[in-house]
Amino acid sequence: MIKKIFFTVFISFLFLSCEDVIEVELPSNKEKLIIDALIKIDNNLPNTAIKVKANLTSSFFDEIKTANLEKITISSEVNNWEEELTEEAPGLYSKIVATDILKQEELTLTISYDNQIYEAKTTYVSSVAIDNLTQGEGTLFNDDETEIIISYTDNPNMENFYLFDFNFGEFLVSEDTFYKGQLFEFSFFYDSALKVGQSVTISLLGIDKSFYNYMNQVIVQSGGNQGPFQTPASTVRGNIINTTEENSIQNYALGYFAICETFKKNITIE
Amino acid sequence: MDIAKNIIFLLLFTFSFVSFAQNNFTVSGTVSDVNSNETLIGVTIAIPELATGVTTNEYGFYSITLPEGEYAIITSYLGFKNAKTSVLLNENKKINFQLEEEAEILNEIILVENVEKTNIETPQMSVNNLAVKTIKKIPVVLGEADVLKAIILLPGVSNAGEGSSGFNVRGGSADQNLILLDEATIFNSSHLFGFFSVFNPDAIKDIKIYKGGIPSRYGGRLSSVLEIFQKEGNSKEYHINGGIGAVASRLLFEGPIIQDKAAFLIGGRASYAHLFLPLFNNDNKAYFYDLNTKFNFRINENNNIYLSGYFGRDVFSISDSFINTYGNSVGNFRWNHLFSDKLFSNLSLIYSDYYYGLKLDFVGFNWNSGIQNFNLKYDLKHYINNNLQINYGINNIYYQFNPGKIIPSNTSSGIIEEQLIQKYANEFAGYIDFEYDITKQLSIEYGLRVSNFVRLGQDEINIYENNNPVTFNPSLLIYQEADPIEVSITRRKSKLKTYTNLEPRLSISYRLNSNNSIKTSYTRLAQYLHLLSNTSSPTPLDVWTPSGPFIKPQLLDQYAFGYFKNFNNQNYSLETEVYYKKIQNRIDYIDGANLIANNAIEQVILNGEARAYGLEILLRKNEGKFQGWLAYTLSKSEQHTPGRISSPTNGINPLETGINNGEWYNTPFDKTHDISLFGSYELNKKLSFNANFVFQTGQPTNYPIGQFEFQGLTVPYYGFRNTERLPNYNRLDVSATLTPTKNANRKIKGEWILSIYNLYNRKNAASINFDRNNDTGVNEAVRTSIFGIVPSVTYNFKF
Repeated sequence: MIKKIFFTVFISFLFLSCEDVIEVELPSNKEKLIIDALIKIDNNLPNTAIKVKANLTSSFFDEIKTANLEKITISSEVNNWEEELTEEAPGLYSKIVATDILKQEELTLTISYDNQIYEAKTTYVSSVAIDNLTQGEGTLFNDDETEIIISYTDNPNMENFYLFDFNFGEFLVSEDTFYKGQLFEFSFFYDSALKVGQSVTISLLGIDKSFYNYMNQVIVQSGGNQGPFQTPASTVRGNIINTTEENSIQNYALGYFAICETFKKNITIE
Repeated sequence: MDIAKNIIFLLLFTFSFVSFAQNNFTVSGTVSDVNSNETLIGVTIAIPELATGVTTNEYGFYSITLPEGEYAIITSYLGFKNAKTSVLLNENKKINFQLEEEAEILNEIILVENVEKTNIETPQMSVNNLAVKTIKKIPVVLGEADVLKAIILLPGVSNAGEGSSGFNVRGGSADQNLILLDEATIFNSSHLFGFFSVFNPDAIKDIKIYKGGIPSRYGGRLSSVLEIFQKEGNSKEYHINGGIGAVASRLLFEGPIIQDKAAFLIGGRASYAHLFLPLFNNDNKAYFYDLNTKFNFRINENNNIYLSGYFGRDVFSISDSFINTYGNSVGNFRWNHLFSDKLFSNLSLIYSDYYYGLKLDFVGFNWNSGIQNFNLKYDLKHYINNNLQINYGINNIYYQFNPGKIIPSNTSSGIIEEQLIQKYANEFAGYIDFEYDITKQLSIEYGLRVSNFVRLGQDEINIYENNNPVTFNPSLLIYQEADPIEVSITRRKSKLKTYTNLEPRLSISYRLNSNNSIKTSYTRLAQYLHLLSNTSSPTPLDVWTPSGPFIKPQLLDQYAFGYFKNFNNQNYSLETEVYYKKIQNRIDYIDGANLIANNAIEQVILNGEARAYGLEILLRKNEGKFQGWLAYTLSKSEQHTPGRISSPTNGINPLETGINNGEWYNTPFDKTHDISLFGSYELNKKLSFNANFVFQTGQPTNYPIGQFEFQGLTVPYYGFRNTERLPNYNRLDVSATLTPTKNANRKIKGEWILSIYNLYNRKNAASINFDRNNDTGVNEAVRTSIFGIVPSVTYNFKF
């Protein structure tokens, strides 16, 4: 996060710099399957709706299209349990299952598409509740910003990774290295002024180290502008594995399958 | 210790040469400026009768041994009047020359030896000198004369563009440059993220950059040595000079403490604190300052001492919730001692550190990191006879690395204070170097440096299965951090890892005739420190890390060949060189590597290799009303991080892809063509014009080969590394220097510099970023260009 703030400062510093949109001819690449299977668990609810998005990659300036899967199932080898997800809308597959079953053992997501079998394995990760959300008066880079102060208490005795979903496509990852077991508080600044009376939901997800690394890269790569500091561009690989053509440099899928306990809290902007 | 024994042997060996001289006498002394007693570096002391000569060393000392006889000695130096002295050499003599500064305008007819002129005689190649006067003429953005902006106009030297720190020499990375300020290592050479360099041109005496053929007295960095000497201070009279610019102001004060014996110099420079106020509406500050100090004391003919210091800081603060401070501090004590008129010695005790501090109140912590080192150097220069000079010495550096310390910034902060594991290391080197003129045509410089690096014990160090901190995931084809199997605690005195390297150096020159020569050189260098940076140019928060059990030292082999020519009465010079270099153990990072606040940096590093080759041409006009140069570089710089070689026992999967699928890829600083043109025209005493033009192939970059969506985020993904390029870069800058002559007799002398940077307002891309426009929801390619046309005015004065 330090780096991100640093880049922001740098860009703001470039008072003489200018940005403009230009036309660039881009290389194209074979379509790849994208699986967005982040399952948020609310432990107050007996059942959880699993929703998985299946799309196909496109050239950067084209539209992303939905993928029509042959079959998608979720299963637990240990519990000898399997459920098939059904197509709710093009590219959207869902199933309502008992929350408990998602928390017990390692789960496998199996997808058949275009004569390939893809597999992803994950295990439930717990989270902690958001203790408090308050609106602050501060701003960082411009007067339009809205400061929200988030506080939560880290789960002691274990290494924790967290994902914050601030809505509006704003995410943040955090690891507890420097605040183990503490009540921790930090400020998040929304870029644009939120409207008075607007309700904002903030989610705190418990994640494991691999998903932390994944989201960290997704946030960096999607964040675009880092000024003249060109960070290494990479293809962010998730945990979806092509089991038909293992080790294929071309035929891989993108996306992630994770099951995360999620706590939400609302705040109304004043 | 074996190494120590070898060095003692080498030292003894050198003394055996002394007995050669029969009926020969030595003339030695120093050369200085008559007005200030400032010693002069690189002054030519020529004996035309014997067609021989020497140049003064970094401390203005020279020594030459000649057969008995009567000689005319000619001393010459750029910007100074030539002096001719008759000497009857029938005993060893000490002669201190004092040179008088030439009037500003160089008369075209007078032949002046020029520091910048190509030296066709010595084997030393791949080196460029720049006079401070030249640096001050080069038009730069916002009119602040700048050492680094000047050297990137030389062939083989480039940087990542505006607003980028550091520089790249012959396809090497920015951390491979050894930057020495009065012999002390400078770790970060830039202010304000690279807009200005940390060197105040008013306080500088001499600049030299070695791009290859690096003599054995230097070591520790692979690509170049940028050696900068500060002025000593005027021991005759008090002087003040300064300047008022668009960004910063400078003031320098110097004068005698004891007439002709001791002098001081103190120079300061600061930018305007609220210069960048229009940036944000908030209360904020962004400024830098630096302070150069120097004290010298001439104890007697044989002993001089110098104390010099540098302190610089950059400060950014935003609404007190974000405060960022960083900079270098350097302190240095030196003692020059003459054992005899043939044996010059210098002892240096140097402390240098780099500090980076950050206060993030809205997250509740303060952060600081840095590197400290204590350096002891002892160098001897032995002028055996006029054909042979031997340089030898030792150097020991003790390093302490602080990768970071986190401290809660207020009482309500949930942050727990933590010191990341500090690292310690010691680097010792001994060297010997012979400069030997075999015949009138053939000269050779050869030497050996022995370096020994010990990574010392630290509080905790991880132990990994199969000693392998990075694992490869064969189903995802990605590298991942390995989990340590054990943590070992070591004592500070223990040695975690020791590396010893022999670094031979060789340069040969052959004079075809008095104006043409060919030279060739071979250099091997070892570098034990690595700057952890995965951006295209270093940022101030990048941290240095030592080699150790997991990270190996970088090793360079460089071969260069060149043709050198002076022509048209030495008014012009031409230098052409080709080079090839190969670097072992060049590190790269796994995808998504986190380099900050990482206690186990070995988990994200892969060892690879790099290579670079190129052609450099430098055509200079050294004399006359019009002076300048044309520099052209054609080059290639690549990197290669293959999958690690597998053996059945170590558990590494044989299908490891390496980075970029194991294929060579361009480094971020690979520029195929690089052309710089600099010209300066002195119309009359009042007015002169300067211009420079730069054209470069665009830097390698990455364009996405596709996009995917995850949780509503649009994420571009990429193919092979660095295969695309930014658009070509080009720019023209001009400036005019106006020196009012009507007050020529006044005590205060002033000059105005008007400059226009990027005259035709080209939008050169510093980067192209691919992201989704949040307002329109459309994916865009966004070009960031830093400076458009920038006019500025600077006023300089001295009295």
